[in-house]
Amino acid sequence: MLKNYLLVAVRNFLKRRIFSLINILGLSIGISAALIIYLIVQFEFSYENFRKDKDSVYRIVTQMNNPQAKQTFPIGGVEGPLPAALRNEATGMEAITHFITLFRSIGGDKITIPGNPLPTVLKRGKADITQIIYADEYYFRLFPHVWLAGSEQHALKEPNQAILTDERARLYFGHLRLEDIIGRQIVYEISRDTIVCTVTGIVKTLKGKATDFRFEEFISLKTLTEAQLANHSVADDWSIISNASQAFVKLKPGVKPLQIENQLTAIRAKHQEDKSNQGKDKDFAKHYLQPLNDIHFNQEYGPLLYGGRQAHKPTLYGLLLTAVLLLILGSINFINLTTAQSAQRAKEIGIRKTFGSGKRKLVFQFLTETFLLTLFATVLSIILSPLFFKIFRDFIPAEISFSFLGRYHVWLFLALLILCITFFSGLYPAWVLTRYKPVVSLKNQLYSGSSQTRGSWLRKTLTVFQFVVAQFILIATLAVSKQLYYSLNKDLGYNTQAIVSFFVPFDFDFSSPTSRRFVLAEKLKAIPSIDKISLAGDVPAGEFTLTQDLNFNTGKKNELLTTQIINTDPEYYKIFNLKLKSGRYPFPDNILKESLINEAFAKAVGFKNPEEALGKFIQWGNAKLLIVGVLADFHTKSTHESIKPIVALTSKSLNSHIHFSLKPQTNAPGLWKATLEKVEREFKQVYPDKDFEYRFFDETIASFYKKEQAARKLLAWSSGLCIIISCLGLLGLVIYITNVRTKEIAVRKILGASASQLTTLLSRELIVLVLLAFAIASPLAWIAVNKWLQNFSYRTDISWWLFGVCGVGMLLVAMTVLGVRTIKSAIANPVNALRSE
Amino acid sequence: MIELKKISKWVTVGGRPNFLLKDVNLFVKEGEFISVMGPSGSGKSTLLNVMGMLDTFNEGEYKFLNEEVHKIKEKQRSELYKQYIGFVFQAYHLIDELTVYENIETPLLYKNVKQSERKAMVADILDRFNIVGKKDLFPTQLSGGQQQLVGVARALISKPRLILADEPTGNLNSKQGEEIMNLFTELNKEGVTIIQVTHSEKNAAYGTRIIHLLDGRIEKEE
Repeated sequence: MLKNYLLVAVRNFLKRRIFSLINILGLSIGISAALIIYLIVQFEFSYENFRKDKDSVYRIVTQMNNPQAKQTFPIGGVEGPLPAALRNEATGMEAITHFITLFRSIGGDKITIPGNPLPTVLKRGKADITQIIYADEYYFRLFPHVWLAGSEQHALKEPNQAILTDERARLYFGHLRLEDIIGRQIVYEISRDTIVCTVTGIVKTLKGKATDFRFEEFISLKTLTEAQLANHSVADDWSIISNASQAFVKLKPGVKPLQIENQLTAIRAKHQEDKSNQGKDKDFAKHYLQPLNDIHFNQEYGPLLYGGRQAHKPTLYGLLLTAVLLLILGSINFINLTTAQSAQRAKEIGIRKTFGSGKRKLVFQFLTETFLLTLFATVLSIILSPLFFKIFRDFIPAEISFSFLGRYHVWLFLALLILCITFFSGLYPAWVLTRYKPVVSLKNQLYSGSSQTRGSWLRKTLTVFQFVVAQFILIATLAVSKQLYYSLNKDLGYNTQAIVSFFVPFDFDFSSPTSRRFVLAEKLKAIPSIDKISLAGDVPAGEFTLTQDLNFNTGKKNELLTTQIINTDPEYYKIFNLKLKSGRYPFPDNILKESLINEAFAKAVGFKNPEEALGKFIQWGNAKLLIVGVLADFHTKSTHESIKPIVALTSKSLNSHIHFSLKPQTNAPGLWKATLEKVEREFKQVYPDKDFEYRFFDETIASFYKKEQAARKLLAWSSGLCIIISCLGLLGLVIYITNVRTKEIAVRKILGASASQLTTLLSRELIVLVLLAFAIASPLAWIAVNKWLQNFSYRTDISWWLFGVCGVGMLLVAMTVLGVRTIKSAIANPVNALRSE
Repeated sequence: MIELKKISKWVTVGGRPNFLLKDVNLFVKEGEFISVMGPSGSGKSTLLNVMGMLDTFNEGEYKFLNEEVHKIKEKQRSELYKQYIGFVFQAYHLIDELTVYENIETPLLYKNVKQSERKAMVADILDRFNIVGKKDLFPTQLSGGQQQLVGVARALISKPRLILADEPTGNLNSKQGEEIMNLFTELNKEGVTIIQVTHSEKNAAYGTRIIHLLDGRIEKEE
């Protein structure tokens, strides 16, 4: 029986090749997208799932409450002494661990293995310093590892001990036997400290697992605290709460997180008491327990290690929605085409019924057919998946490899998907097909009335739905693109073109003219293709920002103002072209004497006119800075955020970057590249052991909008795919309509209708559907886009042409698709059609 | 075998009933060969469909092999005709996507006959109808007469006790028609009851009894 069904199915596919192809193509686009998105979502949600006790492990996090500012400030860390206090004073926990993470320090970091000729420079990607932690001896009890050499028992108990993963062991010691690495020494030069550690154990790396714990090197925490190294205060000072200091607890069975939180509050209160007894200010921190599986998603508390990647739940849900939509559109094609053709299948059904097939058997037969079709689509989509890997590149975590087909759960998912699609898209057509009375279907009475049946009403609704989705996404894509264009090309208040900035390492003799920074800056001035050069703080929209609360006397009253400090020199204003609203730029050589404020500052302290600020003073530390000018407002962040008050001053201690503007290379292509090479040579001469990493300013600006760029890309692709699927459906419908109306077309032609009249006649019905979809999609898109734009403080408006472009574009595409077929049947010789009837 | 008592069937057109069958009484004994005649629209096909349980009626009683058809459920009815009735159509109604062999096999599939048995039965009938050489062809590759032969073969494969034929020779030339009629006669001699609808006097004469219909009533019997 099944064989018979399959046989009929295959022969049917072959007979209606175009329809089958449309169905398979439409479905496979949806399935490919679903497959890739499943891989992404499954991976992101499986973080830390490999840990058996994942549900009882929590991170301790902090909420800083400032009752005056009515702000809470979340920190993904704790004060250093808290874990030890918790261990001594609290109950209900099986284990507590404390570790300190590292971040790249300004001086550059180095690791040397005695006996190895070359030091390993710590760099992102190779031997990343953020993968080194100072951990206490309880770390491995809470986060068990596989031990390849040494043992957990005495691990990290004494100062100057280190545990490596096999990865790092190989990197440092090559092909030495793991047992022989135990006892070897490693010299760390990090954060201006030199630490000599002895390797006491080697564990298996967690690389490749879905985990945020990407640590590869563990130095005993006592190394940091007992030797009072540079960062020790993070680990042992009650008044410092940093996200570099991480504490994890594992609860005993049956213990609720709230019980631990209450004990944490009590411990904290006790130490606040001590603090106020010593005459210090109280702070308002409160601790909470964050579930282990929340760490990967919670942007508030941030990632586990500095610069770690987190997943964004709304984006994941957006991806899921995309997959579901594409699948639905593909299924709609199937439903539409199958029910449209049902009349052609009706005869077969009539015969089968006459010979004793029950309804259930027929439904089963058609579901078998749908199943087979879906199976073909799935095979095709597996073949297509490399293409989709490219499309979703920006959303695919690096850990997801292309060898996903080796995982059993992927196959399980595909099997489930096939079944779902089969039922979703097969059940309705099967029902439509089998409800025909055999007598009616055998008499061939179905054709004539087919365009007026309920099925056609449903088909139209589904087609409208397809186009609503496609046009909605298209409008959204255009709107997002417009906002991005606006953000990137908006007059941000400064020049962004042809400016290169790079970081210059810190010198202790920063103020002396023989300091290496000044030497380098002087050397670069000699390069002819460099226009201007400035040694100052970071770029106006940089990642290193200094924000302080400044006291400012307006002459009438004192104002406390949260202000961003930017460090400049006279050339800085010229390079970035920061414009004056009133007053003048500072004179050269005015270290810590003169300053500029921006308009936002003037407004915030209540000056109606920027001139009023001139001649006032700003107290900055011990320095009294004369305000000599007011700068026009410029963006220091993305256009998401509003412009904050700014004070621009000149301080040698805040110098961190060299900026230079390049002369135009219109007449000499390659000039910039040559210039950058020259700059790098000079840099290497001054800083032989440092890396030269430069950045064009316009790239920095563009990187503010990474999330939006990714969203735009996703939208663009999904709108493209939606349009393809919907047009495939449209093509199928028009082929069907022209087939059914062959005789009518022929008769009309003989009666004198022209080809263009016939084309119009055939297309009109479907064009109306596309227009109707546009009418529905536009207001919906308007609302959605408007809501999204609220995320930006500075935003573009939604223009009517956006909708015009979308509507007209969609209409043109639809008419092209329709034209292919309608014109063909309009110019066909009518005699042929009538003869065959 | 068949007892029709006062069978009426109508459709309502413009509020007035339009009778397709009116007070039809018909008794068919096992082993009969009946021809139903009448002009277009006289209700021949409707009568045949009612007897074949493919169509319902509005009034009257229908007993088939002592089962009261008007009282039993759709499913049992389907069981009944699956078991005892074979259909032959004017337009053959072969499934275009299936070969001759598979078309003949289809009714057996719905009767859950085992594969080995199916094979033997189909081979048997192919042999008997002398169409073994055509078994792998598709219906569109056959002439009308050959298609109808397959149609009859398919009707016979499940060994029905009654064959209902709706103008089986309507699309055939006279020679092909004669062959089919001879086949029916032969089957009738073997004990199969046959009811055929026909326009042709000549073919009607093959039957043991001729029923003339006019406007949904039985006008006369011969």
